[in-house]
Amino acid sequence: MRKVFCLLIFSVVIAACSSDNGSGNPVDDVDPGPGPESFDRAPLLVNWADNIIIPSYDAFTSELTAFETAFDTFKATSNADNLVALRAAWLSSYKMWQRASMFEIGPAETVGLRLNVNTYPTDTDKVDAHVSSGTYDLALPSNRDAKGFPALDYLINGLGDTDAEIVSKYNAGDKEALLGYMGALLGDLSTLANQVTSEWKSSYRDTFVSNDGASATASVDRFVNDYIFYYEKFLRAGKMGIPLGVFSGGVLPEKVEAYYGSDVSNALFLESLDAVQDFFNGKKFGSSTVGESLASYLVALNTVKDGEDLNERINQQFNTARDLVTALAPFKEEIETNTPATAMLLAYDEVQRIVPLLKVDMVSAMSISIDFVDADGD
Amino acid sequence: MKKFLLILSVSSVLMNTACNSDDNDPIAVVATCTDGIQNGDETGVDCGGTCTPCTTAIDNPTSYIFERNGESTVSFSGQTTRISMGQEIIDAMQETSSTAVKLQAMFAHVEGVEDFTDADLNASDKSVRSKTAASADYFSGNATDQALIRADFESWIDGQVNEVFPNWGVAAEAGVAGQIADGSSTRYINAKGLEYNQAFNKGLIGALMADQALNNYLSPAILDEGDNRANNDAGTPAEGKAYTTMEHKWDEAYGYVYGANADAADPNADLGADSFMNKYVGRVEGDDDFAGIADEIFQAFKLGRAAIVAQDYTVRDEQAQIIKKKISEVIGIRAVYYLQQGKNALDQETPDYGGGFHDLSEGYGFIYSLQFTRKPNSEDPYFTKAEVDAFLVDLMDDGENGLWDVTPATLDAIAEAIAARFEFTLAEAAD
Repeated sequence: MRKVFCLLIFSVVIAACSSDNGSGNPVDDVDPGPGPESFDRAPLLVNWADNIIIPSYDAFTSELTAFETAFDTFKATSNADNLVALRAAWLSSYKMWQRASMFEIGPAETVGLRLNVNTYPTDTDKVDAHVSSGTYDLALPSNRDAKGFPALDYLINGLGDTDAEIVSKYNAGDKEALLGYMGALLGDLSTLANQVTSEWKSSYRDTFVSNDGASATASVDRFVNDYIFYYEKFLRAGKMGIPLGVFSGGVLPEKVEAYYGSDVSNALFLESLDAVQDFFNGKKFGSSTVGESLASYLVALNTVKDGEDLNERINQQFNTARDLVTALAPFKEEIETNTPATAMLLAYDEVQRIVPLLKVDMVSAMSISIDFVDADGD
Repeated sequence: MKKFLLILSVSSVLMNTACNSDDNDPIAVVATCTDGIQNGDETGVDCGGTCTPCTTAIDNPTSYIFERNGESTVSFSGQTTRISMGQEIIDAMQETSSTAVKLQAMFAHVEGVEDFTDADLNASDKSVRSKTAASADYFSGNATDQALIRADFESWIDGQVNEVFPNWGVAAEAGVAGQIADGSSTRYINAKGLEYNQAFNKGLIGALMADQALNNYLSPAILDEGDNRANNDAGTPAEGKAYTTMEHKWDEAYGYVYGANADAADPNADLGADSFMNKYVGRVEGDDDFAGIADEIFQAFKLGRAAIVAQDYTVRDEQAQIIKKKISEVIGIRAVYYLQQGKNALDQETPDYGGGFHDLSEGYGFIYSLQFTRKPNSEDPYFTKAEVDAFLVDLMDDGENGLWDVTPATLDAIAEAIAARFEFTLAEAAD
């Protein structure tokens, strides 16, 4: 089903008057207000590109290099210690991916990075078939559910109940085939990540930053759409709502992220939530300093909701959601042991509450139209 | 929601109408058409038989339930069967193990042949192909176009097997068939970007569902064929059946729209029960600009059917015109919608080829289906076959690689030309 969400923008309404909270001050009614606010979008784009997006991709490619090193060690000596180290490298890269996943614009959009890196649940039958046949083309769209972090999750965490069992698989007859496929998956990840990173640096950074107008095709408008789309579909729905059964008849615990190493699903979610909030606040990657951001944009527009600054309201909601999610047992356990999974559903509701704040209130203030579409489903 | 006023006037104005006692038989029943009691061959008081036809109030039920002597008179199993066959065919077009011979045999099923997974379909004497471009109004006198249209469907099957299946494991590019990502889905296209299975599926919505319903079963040529009207007037059921032939013809039209719904009496409860007309009535209903259309179509089917029971053929034909208009609009709206969605997908900084081609492949089929639409109170479709063929040439000829080269201007031009001939606007259909 393809539905276009077209929000008609109530553009100037909120920007001008913040007078509802004037506790009966009659002067408010005649105050013409500060007039239409202006906000220079160019420094915003520069902060996004130079201080957040490109450094995030750089960190991601570095993580993948470390992951490959851990893999080489495991490949040389497939023992339990090296498996633990490999798993740690997998998790560290996977967490870093949570900070890069939202940037599906330009080079990442062209290669379809997100679905090449993190399509889950992975198709284990397909993975097994590729391992045993040794013939596969990881560039094919139909192989997206047999590669990336979820397929690596299966190969690192899912081949046995204990580490000893898993290690034994890597010392048995199909050792070479398993290691060969794992190596190919890592190579595919690195190739894609390096391609996207280098395109950002070589050309797209300038394209992105220079497109600093305010229109449906301007960088801010487009990226804000991508950002909200990511939050709604991949973070809120993909990581929590779908496994919780919010969109289906029953719960689907097999759809949690990192199903085989499922004690880390929550950590991946929280990393992703942190990344989204940090981006909202313009926090420079690897630093506690902030630059121009969606939050500072709202401040410049003097946007108020229910008597409260909207940027603060949004940050509070991020914090509320994080608190509830942090208190949860691993998602898979929450879903499988509680019927209904009340604690996780309550947390999900707080995660959901951010959607209208971004998708209605924030974009209205910024005069940005929401234009994204759902997949057709047929 | 449109409310249809029931015609409650049980006409009592039969007073001075002379009886048609002009039969040759001198010992004919005495004319009694004005005596206030039912006698002779009258089927009601002073009406029916050799008197003027009875006019009764239309009893319009709230759901599509019609009975005679406590037995349902609604039957459209043949339509349900063909919808199921169509579904199996389009599914099999996505299985690379399907041969062209097998798919063509499914399309032109012969009773008893093991073409389908469903044994009931195998046992059926029905086939999709025999009712493709086969309406009385459009094709009884046009075997040429019928043959050309069937050849199109066969060519889509052959193209899928001979061009796309061999490249199933190849990444598509301009001029090369293969697979392409559309969001999280994977689509399979020919060298020009077209999904043959979509052309087949959406083309069938026109060539089978719309053509049979609008141009065959809702046509007076079929409803009033032979002595259908006399039998319906007399309440004479078809041999061995609970329904009159006219009732059944109407229900067969109904079945092409609602034949897969769980509750035939209340089909709008689960619109989208098939991959054909039913699904897209639901999709158009889901567009706020057209909300209510599903009920309009259903109400027209129901009132028209009730009118047949009441032998009120004026009301029947009025409802048929509403259905023709609305079903035609569904096809037109979806054609425009997919052209615009395809344009949006392709015309951006990072073109979404997979998504755009999927939209345009669906659009291709809906454009194809336009030739089976029916303008109300007319003998003509909204677009002729020649016009449809020209659209499809335009869609594919901006460059040597078809949809890979299509321009926004071309997509807009086709969409605008389609919308201009309907009562909806391009903007209404585009979202």
